[in-house]
Amino acid sequence: MLDKLKSIISKVDANYSDIRYETKKETKIIFNGEELNQIGSNITDGYVIRILKNGGLSSIAFTKEVDAEKAISNALENATLIARNVEKPIELAKTEVIEDTFLPELKEDPRMISIDEKLEITQKYNSIPLKHNGISTTTTQYLEVIREKYYVNSEGSEIREDLITTRIFGTIISKDGNLIQNVRAGVGGSNGFALLRDKEEEFEKKTNIVLDLLKANPIKGGVYNVILNPSIAGVFTHEAFGHFSEADLIEDSPTMREKMQLGAKLGSDALNIIDDPTTPDQLGFYKYDDEGVKARPTKLLEYGVLVGRLHSRRTAAAFEEHLTGHCVAEDYRFAPIIRMGNIFIQPGRKNFEELLAELSDGLYILDSKGGQTSGENFTFGAQYAYIVKDGKLGKMIRDINISGNLYKTLQNITLIGNDLDLCKIGGCGKGQLNIRSCHGAPHIIIKDVIIGGM
Amino acid sequence: MEKLMEIAKKVSDKVEIYSLEKTENGIVFENAKLKDIDSKLQSGFSLRIIKDGKLGFAFTKNLIDREEFVQNTLDSLKGGVEAKFNLPLTKDLPKLQTYDPSIETLTNTEIVDECNRICDILSPKTNGQINLYAGSEVDKIRLINSNGTDLSTESSFYYNYTSIMYPGGYSSISRVVTYKNFEKTPDECLNYILNTYNQASKEVTPKGGKMKVLFLPETLYVLMWRLWFATSGKSLYEKQSPISERLGKKIFDKKLTIYNNPLYDRMPGARSFDDEGSPCQHFLILENGVLKNFYYDLNYSNKLNKKPTGHGFRSAAWGGDSITIKPTPFLSHLYIKPGDKSFSELVKSIDRGIIIAGALGAHSGNIPNGDFSIGLNPALYIENGEIVGYVKDSMAAGNIYKVMKNVIAIEDTFYPAHSGTYPSILFDNVSVSTKS
Repeated sequence: MLDKLKSIISKVDANYSDIRYETKKETKIIFNGEELNQIGSNITDGYVIRILKNGGLSSIAFTKEVDAEKAISNALENATLIARNVEKPIELAKTEVIEDTFLPELKEDPRMISIDEKLEITQKYNSIPLKHNGISTTTTQYLEVIREKYYVNSEGSEIREDLITTRIFGTIISKDGNLIQNVRAGVGGSNGFALLRDKEEEFEKKTNIVLDLLKANPIKGGVYNVILNPSIAGVFTHEAFGHFSEADLIEDSPTMREKMQLGAKLGSDALNIIDDPTTPDQLGFYKYDDEGVKARPTKLLEYGVLVGRLHSRRTAAAFEEHLTGHCVAEDYRFAPIIRMGNIFIQPGRKNFEELLAELSDGLYILDSKGGQTSGENFTFGAQYAYIVKDGKLGKMIRDINISGNLYKTLQNITLIGNDLDLCKIGGCGKGQLNIRSCHGAPHIIIKDVIIGGM
Repeated sequence: MEKLMEIAKKVSDKVEIYSLEKTENGIVFENAKLKDIDSKLQSGFSLRIIKDGKLGFAFTKNLIDREEFVQNTLDSLKGGVEAKFNLPLTKDLPKLQTYDPSIETLTNTEIVDECNRICDILSPKTNGQINLYAGSEVDKIRLINSNGTDLSTESSFYYNYTSIMYPGGYSSISRVVTYKNFEKTPDECLNYILNTYNQASKEVTPKGGKMKVLFLPETLYVLMWRLWFATSGKSLYEKQSPISERLGKKIFDKKLTIYNNPLYDRMPGARSFDDEGSPCQHFLILENGVLKNFYYDLNYSNKLNKKPTGHGFRSAAWGGDSITIKPTPFLSHLYIKPGDKSFSELVKSIDRGIIIAGALGAHSGNIPNGDFSIGLNPALYIENGEIVGYVKDSMAAGNIYKVMKNVIAIEDTFYPAHSGTYPSILFDNVSVSTKS
C-alpha cells in the first residue's frame, strides 16, 4: 500500500504533497432498552491528499482509487487559487523524515474476540439498570473502531500506524411521572478489550445516581463557589482552555492572539496544564499525527503562565513556534486539523476532604454531560451535584449547566487536588468527531461560577 | 447495484440498497481573508436485508466484492435485530426541482470572488472580524428495494455563511443563505448582520432575572431539538416522550405552527422520498399550538402499529457518513410558520430583554425533559425597544413546555438556520442568569 501511495503522489507537481489511506473497521452493537437495535462490523476506506504549491495549501478526500488523478488536479487548482489570494505564503514547519511502523500493544486485541462475546458483555452491562424499578430505558452501545493508517509524504516519510478504540457506553434513563432524568455511563480506552471486562460497578453506580436524581431538586440559577470532580474538571480543561490552545482556532483572530501570547499570565499560580499524546495506555495515545509528525508532550500552562500551544506544521511555521504533533483527522474522510491528545491539569497536593473544608459552602459538581466553547466563552453540563455546607456534602441537586469566561475562570481556580484521573471515553466535535479526545484533572475548586439553573 | 440486488435477493426475504455520491467544496475565510479550500469526492453503499423477521445491515465505500458485502450483511443477522416491517413499493412521486445543472460549472474562484465582495462591503463598515464559510455540493442518491422501488434524486447546493465576530472569541452575528446554485448574498442579509452587530458592539452587563427573550433563527434549534425528541416515533416507543399522551391537545402557544416539508423545492435539498423509499409529505407537527402528529420511519411505525410517515432518514446528531447510519425517525426539513411582525418591530416591542444570537451547550441539558440551559454567545441586550449592547458570561434556561407557551410574537419571514428554517420568535418570562 505504501508503494501505491508513493506512486500516486509522485505525479503531483508541487512543493509538497502527502497522502493518507485508511481502512476503518467499525463494530457496533446497540441496545435500546432490552431490544437489540444494531449489530455488525463494517470496513470502509478512503484517501486524503494534501498539496502545497507556491504558498497555497489545499486538501481533498476521495473514496475511489480511480479518482486519484481528478483529486490531484482539483487540489492543485485549489492550492493555486489559495496561493493567489493569501498575503503571506503558507509554509510547513520542518520536521524529521520518519519511516516507521507502529502497531500498539494491546491488553487483549478486540479483533481476536468474537462478536458473540462482545454482544454478551454489552447485554450484561445494559441489563444492570433495566433490573430496577424507575429505570424507563437505556441506550447502550459497544463501539470498536480500528483505523489502519498508511501515510506517505513527498519528503520521504512513510508511516504505518494503527489506532484501536473500544468502548461500551450509553445513557441510563429514569422516569417518575413526567420527570425524566438521564446519566451517562461508560468504560473503554485505547489499549485493548480487557478494559471492558469486570466493569459492572460503573453501571450499578450510575443506575443508583439516575434513580436518586428523580428525588433531587433542581438548582437555582446564580453564582456559586464549586468543587469539580476530575471528570468535569477535565471537560473544563478541554472545553474552556484546551480549544483555545489549538493554534488554528486563534491563528486568524487578532483579538484572541493578543490575549494568548506566550508568557501571558492567564491562570492562578496553582495551575499547570499539559497535553501529552504519548502518555501510555491513555485514550488519546498516538505516536505520529496525521501529517507524520511525532507526537510530543506539550506544556501549555505552567504556574498559570501560557508556555505553549498545540500545532500543525502550518501553524507552527506561522507562529514560529515548535512542532507538537497535534494535527489529527477523524478518519479517511477528512484532512487533519489541530486536536488535543491527552490534556490534563497536573495534580496538586490536597486531598478531597481538604478541598471540601476549603470550599466550606458551595456545590460539589460531578461528571460531564457535554460542553461547548466559543473562544473565551464556554458552557458545559454536569450530570449531578451536591450542596456543600460547612465543608460537608448535603443533598443531591440536578440540572446543572455551567457557563463562564475562560480568563476569569482560570484565575478563579484556587485549589487543585492530588487525585488526577483521565477520562476513558472521549468525544470532541470540532468539525470532525474525535472519539479519542482524552482529558483529565484532579478535583479542583473554582470560585464564582455562573450556573444556569431552571 | 442491480447485481448486488440479485445476489442479496437469493439469500434473504427483503433487500434494500441505498447509494450516495457526494461532491463537496468548502471555502473558509477568516478575518476577511481566504484561509482554506477543502474538497471531497465521497461515495458509498448501504445494504439492509430482512430474513425471517431479522435485520441485517452493512455498508461499504467501494463496491468491490459484492459477495463479501452480502456475507457481511448476513453476518449481522446473527444478533437477531427484529425487523417486522415491509419495504415500500413507491412510484409516481411528484417531480421536484432539486438540481440546477449550472452548479457543475461553478468554480471555487467564483465563490472566492463572492466572499471577497462580501468582505469588501462589510470591512469598511464594522470593527468586527469577518468570517465566511461558503461552498457547493452535489448529492446523488439512489434507492432500490426488492419490492420494485427504484428511486433517485440529485440535489445541488450553494451556501454562504457570513458572520461578524465579537472580540475574543467565536461569538458572532451571522446568517446563512442557501440556494440550488450560486447567487450573491442579498444586500438585505448583509445589512441585517452589519446593523445588528454595529448596534450591539458595546459590551453591557445587565441584571439577570425573568425577561423577554428573542430567539433568532440561528438559535431556535435549542428549543426545536427538544421538540424533535419528544415527537419522534422512537422516543414514543421507548416511552421517553413527555408528550406521548398529548396528541390533539394544545401544548404550546397558539401562534406556533411547526411542520416538516421535504416537498418545498424552492429551498435546496427538497426530497420526494425518504432514505428508505417512503413518500415524503407536508407534515404538521404542531398547528396553532396543538400537537398534531408524531413522526415515524418504517421500523418504529411498525412497532407502534402506525402508518409510516416518510421520516426515515440516515442522519445522526453529530453528522456522520449517511451510508453508515441506519434510517431512524428524523425531521429533515423542519419549518416554523412565520408570524406578522418584522424583525425591527419585534425589537421595538421589547422594553427589557435579550436577543439570543448564539447558544453554547444546547446538547447538554436534559433533552427528554424539555429542559435547556445554554450559554449566551452572545446575547444582545435591549432596553426600551433598542439594542444597547452585547452580553457575555450569561445563561438562559427553561423548559420548552413552559417557555413555548409564552410566545409574544413571531417574525414575518423565515430563514435557513441550524436544523430547520425558522423566523425569530419572541418569548416572555424566560430566566436569564448574568454575573451582575
